[in-house]
Amino acid sequence: MTNSLLFGISIFVYFLAMVLYVSYLAFRSEGLGKVATFSLLAGVIVETAAVGMRWYESYQMGIGRAPLTNLYESLVFFALTIAVTYLILEKKFGIKTIGAFVTPFPFIIMAYASLNPNNIQPLVPALKSNWLIAHVVTCFVGYAAFAVSFGVSIIYLFKARAERLAGKDAGTFLGFVPATEILDEIGYKTIAIGFPLLTIGIVTGAFWANVAWGTYWSWDPKETWSLIVWLIYAAYLHARITRGWRGTRAAVLSIVGFSATIFCYLGVNLILSGLHSYGGQ
Amino acid sequence: MTPNQPAENKQRAFTEKVWDFFTSLKLVISLLLVLSALSIVGTVIEQNKPLQEYYRVYQPSTVDLFNKLGLFDMYHSWWFSALLALLALNIIACTMDRYNPIMRGLRKRNLILDETLEKSLQSKDKFKYALPLADVEKRALEVVGKRFTGKPIITQLADGDRHCFFEQGKYSRLAFFFTHLSVLLIFIGALIGSFFGYKGFVNINEGETISRLETRAGENKELNFAVKCNTFTAEFYRDGMPKDYRSDLSVIKDGKEVLRKTIRVNDPLTFEGITFYQSSYGSIPERVQLEVRNQDGTLQGVADASFGQRVAVPGTREQLEVANYQEHFRLPDGSDGGIALGVNIYPEKGEPSGIWLLMSDPDVDKLRRRPYYLLIKDWQLKKYTGLQVNKDPGEAAVWGGSLLLIAGILVAFFVSHKKLWLCLSKDKKGRTELTIGGTTNKNRPAFIREVAGIIQSLKEVS
Repeated sequence: MTNSLLFGISIFVYFLAMVLYVSYLAFRSEGLGKVATFSLLAGVIVETAAVGMRWYESYQMGIGRAPLTNLYESLVFFALTIAVTYLILEKKFGIKTIGAFVTPFPFIIMAYASLNPNNIQPLVPALKSNWLIAHVVTCFVGYAAFAVSFGVSIIYLFKARAERLAGKDAGTFLGFVPATEILDEIGYKTIAIGFPLLTIGIVTGAFWANVAWGTYWSWDPKETWSLIVWLIYAAYLHARITRGWRGTRAAVLSIVGFSATIFCYLGVNLILSGLHSYGGQ
Repeated sequence: MTPNQPAENKQRAFTEKVWDFFTSLKLVISLLLVLSALSIVGTVIEQNKPLQEYYRVYQPSTVDLFNKLGLFDMYHSWWFSALLALLALNIIACTMDRYNPIMRGLRKRNLILDETLEKSLQSKDKFKYALPLADVEKRALEVVGKRFTGKPIITQLADGDRHCFFEQGKYSRLAFFFTHLSVLLIFIGALIGSFFGYKGFVNINEGETISRLETRAGENKELNFAVKCNTFTAEFYRDGMPKDYRSDLSVIKDGKEVLRKTIRVNDPLTFEGITFYQSSYGSIPERVQLEVRNQDGTLQGVADASFGQRVAVPGTREQLEVANYQEHFRLPDGSDGGIALGVNIYPEKGEPSGIWLLMSDPDVDKLRRRPYYLLIKDWQLKKYTGLQVNKDPGEAAVWGGSLLLIAGILVAFFVSHKKLWLCLSKDKKGRTELTIGGTTNKNRPAFIREVAGIIQSLKEVS
């Protein structure tokens, strides 16, 4: 299948992008940085083509559905949203040095996805709904924004620590990444993008559940974990906006939030059981 | 000083303390984090299972402890509900606390850019032009008008100074109410649903009609109308995965069909506030013919039984009833025994007893060593559709609250209340002096860039 081939190529392109971003951080050459961005963009283009091809091929098979309905498809889509979200934020905030901490995600996720079965299965009745695309896309773009915030928060912690220990001018690559205040601000802004999207994702999910099963909230593990994630980021936002929590505490909360996000996405499907079992297969 | 004044003060101090507690940010953040941490428990311990299943997984003493703590239905336990109630109180108190400051911020309009105001602004500049005041004003309004929508309020003072006031995104200050009251609205919707609604389940055989159903709470609900299942269809893909489940339903009121709809998963039927969802399906035997044989194998007769009805066992004084049907009977060793019929035998005197007849193993009854044994000869199946039934008058509040919440969050993050002033005056040499200043309530860096752009354009005016 063409889509598998394209996905395979995108794994290598993402790997290359990751290596280039890390080299950029190590050698600090502008040219290298440009190539890194370009290669990540190439990875996004190849993978977008792969997703489109998979969609098209499903129609050729007489199944005809959006490629967003099992573990393999959600993983590749997650990798794509992280890469796209990161590229947009790199352009908006000029944070190329952060790429080394974010671009490993698309590569690792794609590599993990390739271990899962990737044949195109027809949809079970519960998934035949117009809500599918709105629900999945908002959730995953939200997750991707949280992933970027997570990467930024990790660097923030490293940099803040290095500054505490060695004074302002850390000689390592940390001297090269943006100032702590900027990292802190980006960590917040990405959450400010992810939070409304997660909210929309939860509401569309609840609405869909109500149409499919006659109950908008049943404390199913997936629902509960999405609420846990929402509560953690809600706490982050309240602490930050009202109380001015910044810096280390905010970074830690962002890391906790993303860990919960990953559990909500993968842990629930792979470890716990419940209504939302499509994603585990 | 009256003697009871200290007591009054004390009381005041106490209510103030309570108020401070309920409006404190510490409470909000602790509640959000505690709720999220506690919620994890219910995803690790499976909820609402029969007690026997817990005994299989945990030690008996652990089961007793968990049961006492309400951990098997923790999201409906008193302590979880109490935390949610505390969150609601917290939201109400914070909303009341913030009402006056927010409304003040909304109403406060300083139309004049005087010295005190100018000092308080971070984004400001001042320059002079050799042009007449009216020209400068016209050009300046054009420049600012490109970035600020809405008409400025222009005030002319006695000394000839003209002040222009631009304002945008004023009502974004109300986002606080939207985000917080929406959560209360969702809570209210959930409460209305749990007090005035119900969830239930009903099986309808093909061609049959029901007008009552059993709720999850175990009550019988009589409907004001009847629902008929005309047909049920299940379709499968070639590999056996389900493709489509659908039931052709009719709603019958006062003997007349008032609504007919084919429902599917994701496409339910709603009538008079009650919604029917495609949930499961199955078959039951309509008529069963059972051979009654003596232990030596001779045929004693054939019992022709409708499902759920007692009929005489030929050649005996006993009666039987086909009461159960399973497509995949679980044998004691856990394996699939195939199709099985559950039959109750009613002796002339004494207690009835139940037996299972297996299609795959006709000898199973013979081995029971009773005077006669039963053999399944023939049966006709009838399909039924399983419908989840839901009445929830609180739904509108939940969805209204959800929309408000989303709108509120978007406004809270992405719309800010911006104010910009221009002051035009003439200096002693007859030049026009323009002072510009602005302020915003959030996202200052972006606003500073925006004002810097305006200032740049104003400098180019000549």
